[in-house]
Amino acid sequence: MTLDSYVPILFLIVLSTLFAVASIWVSSRIGPRAPTPAKLTPYESGIVPEGGIEKQRFPVKFYLVAMLFIIFDIETVFLYPWAVAYDNLKLFGLIEMGVFIAILLAAYVYVWRRGGLEWVD
Amino acid sequence: MSNFPFLDVVIFLPLAGAFAVGLIPRDNDGALRWTAFAVTLVTFVVSLGLLLNFDSDAAGFQLGTDVRWVKDWGVGYITGIDGISLWMIMLTTFLMPLAVLASWTITTRLKPYFVFLLALETGMLGVFSALDLFLFYVFWEVALIPMYFLIGMWGYANRIYAAVKFFLFTVLGSLLMLVAILFVYFNAGEGATFDYRALLGTPFSPEVQRLLFLGFFAAFAVKVPLVPLHTWLPDAHTEAPTAGSVMLAAVMLKMGAYGLLRFAIPLFPDAAREFVPLVMTLAIIGILYGAAVAVMQKDLKRLVAYSSVAHLGFVVLGMFVGTVEGMSGGILQMINHGLSTGALFLLVGALYDRRHSRLIADFGGLSKSVPVLAGIFLFVALSSLGLPGLNGFVGEFLILLGTWTAYRWWVVPAAFGIVLAAIYLLWAYQRVFHGEPVIEENRVMIDLNLREVSMLAPIMALIVLIGVYPKPFLDTIEPAAERTAQVLKEGSVASRDGAQQLRRHIVAGPLVPVLEED
Amino acid sequence: MEFEAPAVQLGAIGPEIALVTTALLLLIVDAFIPEGEERWYLAVLATIGFGVAIILAANQWGERELQLARMVAVDNFATFVKTSVAVFAVLTVWLSRDYLKRSEDEESEFYALLLFAAAGMMLMASAADLIMVFLALEIFSISLYVLVGFRRRSLASQESAMKYFLLGAFSSAFFLMGIALVYGATGTTNFYPGGGGEGIAGYLVSSAASDVDLLVLGVGLLIVGLGFKIAAVPFHMWTPDAYQGAPSPITGFMAAGTKFAAVATMLRLFVVVLYPLRADWRPILIAVAIATMLLGSVLAVIQEDVKRLLAYSSIAHAGFVLTGLIAANDRGLSGSLFYLATYGLTVLGAFAVVTVLAGRKERNVTLASYRGLFYERPLLAGALTLFMLSLAGVPLTSGFVGKFLVFGAAIQAGYWWLAVIGMLASVIATFFYLRVLVVMYMQEDDRGLQPAITGRLANSVVGLTAAATLVLGIVWGPLIDLAERATVFFA
Repeated sequence: MTLDSYVPILFLIVLSTLFAVASIWVSSRIGPRAPTPAKLTPYESGIVPEGGIEKQRFPVKFYLVAMLFIIFDIETVFLYPWAVAYDNLKLFGLIEMGVFIAILLAAYVYVWRRGGLEWVD
Repeated sequence: MSNFPFLDVVIFLPLAGAFAVGLIPRDNDGALRWTAFAVTLVTFVVSLGLLLNFDSDAAGFQLGTDVRWVKDWGVGYITGIDGISLWMIMLTTFLMPLAVLASWTITTRLKPYFVFLLALETGMLGVFSALDLFLFYVFWEVALIPMYFLIGMWGYANRIYAAVKFFLFTVLGSLLMLVAILFVYFNAGEGATFDYRALLGTPFSPEVQRLLFLGFFAAFAVKVPLVPLHTWLPDAHTEAPTAGSVMLAAVMLKMGAYGLLRFAIPLFPDAAREFVPLVMTLAIIGILYGAAVAVMQKDLKRLVAYSSVAHLGFVVLGMFVGTVEGMSGGILQMINHGLSTGALFLLVGALYDRRHSRLIADFGGLSKSVPVLAGIFLFVALSSLGLPGLNGFVGEFLILLGTWTAYRWWVVPAAFGIVLAAIYLLWAYQRVFHGEPVIEENRVMIDLNLREVSMLAPIMALIVLIGVYPKPFLDTIEPAAERTAQVLKEGSVASRDGAQQLRRHIVAGPLVPVLEED
Repeated sequence: MEFEAPAVQLGAIGPEIALVTTALLLLIVDAFIPEGEERWYLAVLATIGFGVAIILAANQWGERELQLARMVAVDNFATFVKTSVAVFAVLTVWLSRDYLKRSEDEESEFYALLLFAAAGMMLMASAADLIMVFLALEIFSISLYVLVGFRRRSLASQESAMKYFLLGAFSSAFFLMGIALVYGATGTTNFYPGGGGEGIAGYLVSSAASDVDLLVLGVGLLIVGLGFKIAAVPFHMWTPDAYQGAPSPITGFMAAGTKFAAVATMLRLFVVVLYPLRADWRPILIAVAIATMLLGSVLAVIQEDVKRLLAYSSIAHAGFVLTGLIAANDRGLSGSLFYLATYGLTVLGAFAVVTVLAGRKERNVTLASYRGLFYERPLLAGALTLFMLSLAGVPLTSGFVGKFLVFGAAIQAGYWWLAVIGMLASVIATFFYLRVLVVMYMQEDDRGLQPAITGRLANSVVGLTAAATLVLGIVWGPLIDLAERATVFFA
């Protein structure tokens, strides 16, 4: 195998970049423009925005909770394919998942005891 | 008694002494001084055993030990001496108690001082006894560290600069030597070993020899020192405390000359022969340059330091002319220089203790207030410039004789160096001890006390002894000198046959007694 | 489709599992202890964990196989590295205990991250697959990013952690790209042939290896990634800042452990697996080694901060040990192992002295503050002297033997000129080690510098490493013997 086989990929990269740039440029040129105040407000699920959202400051706790949520949420995703393939994996799969859950549990206990789940100190 | 391991005891006794000194409370000045003195004195007495048991007629190396250190790498603790190393060891052990006596004037941090001084002695003795290249390198570097501290911690105003310069110069040379040692090790063929006796007569092509010789030469030429690698010397000698200057000049410089004789020449004789003109030229330049610069010095200690450059030029000249006379003269001159320059540094140190100055201009007319000091100074100066009847004459005469038989007219510049030596030494003597005292204080200087006289007297005795009856010295030196001179003259390791012949030539006869075999 | 349960030989990564388990245990146990309590048990638990790891690792001595789907090699080489790293880590734990004692920073996370980092380094040594190498690399790197910034009240610490993290992530990307290219070229990330695949080593001896351009490109990127970890020039930029800002015990551990783990991988990868490709990687590494030795030594000369000085010295040492790797022979392998094991102990000792003097507030880290240390604390100054002499490569210290061995190997391989350059760099390096000695011994000061830490554990770390530096410099036979037996790879 040589570098030659990568030429199509390079070609693809160039082509897709060109296409993206071109389509944005063309649409900004030929698209009609009729701005209204309603069109310019950010979309917040149909509710009228309170305004000045970019100036508000969020408590750092939001980020912490969001990160913890993502971590534990993503981990549970692994349970689905495992459950589907359980018949094939048998005891081996059970033990492996036990180890996985144990590590997750350790992390959970740690986060809980260190106050990561408390909203108010 | 011949089974007693004199050599190893002599090497390690000072180190044991250093540990003993380390156990003494640091404010007990008396105990520290006397312990150090006792250790060095006992070391000297034991080293007399070497002298008594040494067999001048036996070829090869004697009185040594051969123990494996790291078997897989062929590293051994191998020691042994021949007629050259014997006298270097005797010189070291002889001067060390005197250096300790000279250290009586040191009043600060005595404990580390004596620890370093004693460790230094072990390092230097090891260098002269090691017959394993690895071991040799270890001792070579180990001798460096204590001297670095001695200069840097107890030296004069500019001591740190001098100490660092001394260390870096030496390390630069010795690391190049280490590369050469490793190269020899990996290319010696059969069985990996650092054993000098086994490595002797390893065949090398002339091109390779040239590089290897330069590797070793770098280390030794810095130490000797040969011009232009000498610039560390005036600083180190001048800034070091008296005992440091004495050991530096009397013994440490000889490590370089000894290394040339023991390792650089016999291991790579073809390259050595090729470099003879270059080395001789450098030696002659050293003689003239050292002497010329010495004439112009204002600082008495610096003057003595530069005289060392000139004297060591003589030593190297003698060693490289390739005649027995030159070689023996060079070796004898190593001892002579050790004695006379050592004594000169002791005297300059004594002057400094009294006036806290080393500048010649600060003295003058001292012969009236300190007649004994003046007398001894004149005596040692005469020895140093080669007055017949004293030791310096014998060595220089032999060197010039050897040079004459081999190279004729090269003796002219060398002889001119002797004239210059007379000028700088006698002129310095005149300015310091004669005339009218420029400064009032010089009228009431205290003469040498008992301690100072007793450290100078043994040296003076030897100066006379070698001057009038050098035979016992030369008898032991000559066989080894003859072997080395012959190697330089016609030895060759360019071919396998020549190499084996060379090896038989040097390590002929019984090898060193093997204590442990495996 | 029938699933076949893989043979799970957890024993292969037993030491790592022990460390990770201990770390989890630490985190949980500590979570149940109220704040403000004496936290001595953290260090005790960590020590026990490392003890178990050492025993498990030592038990693998003599084995010689590939396990866990051919991803992990169990051989003497890995055992040697694992044991050394665990020893470094134990010493770091003891030092950290006195460093952190009764401070707000003494938390389970510190020790847990240390355990994770050590586990990553160990895994690195036995990794027999590029993916496994990357995984191990990330485990210890991420742990170290956090540890470097562990002095939470110090801006310098934060800054250095940030720098280390950004550049580290960058180098990881290079490494990953290198893996991709190697995979593209050879069709495998596995090192050794067998198990149905030929592995990188197998590919190179097979006939398909006529065109290796892509592979060489990939290997070049791997060198970038690993060169970053060992702090080789030109990938060394992070080193001085990270070393300076990190808590001193961690700096010592980084210098000792990271270097060993990364060089171990390089030894396995370059000297064993990519040996047939040496004509291609040697010139690159020679250029890197020369630049590293010279630049590290030269830049160290002008440093006024002891931690920065040691950082540049560690850069220079990366260059020295690379000469053993470039030699690519048996002596080079065993020499490098010896070098890194002893260098680790020495540099840990040097940072232990720095730690003891600087304390948690990291004061007195300038060279000038060491003035006259010998007169205040002769033993501490003596130990530091020993470490400096060892780093400078003076005989009767382990550092000399290490240098002797790797330069010897280079000379044996015919690279005597590389050894000469290395020696010249050593002379430059000697200058700044001497500066430390000059300051301690030859300049007096009546400020009366007192150690900030007087704990027995920290002092015992200084004592142990000093003893090791001296003893391994004199009796180096047994260790080099072990190192020689550790060059038995799975190959």
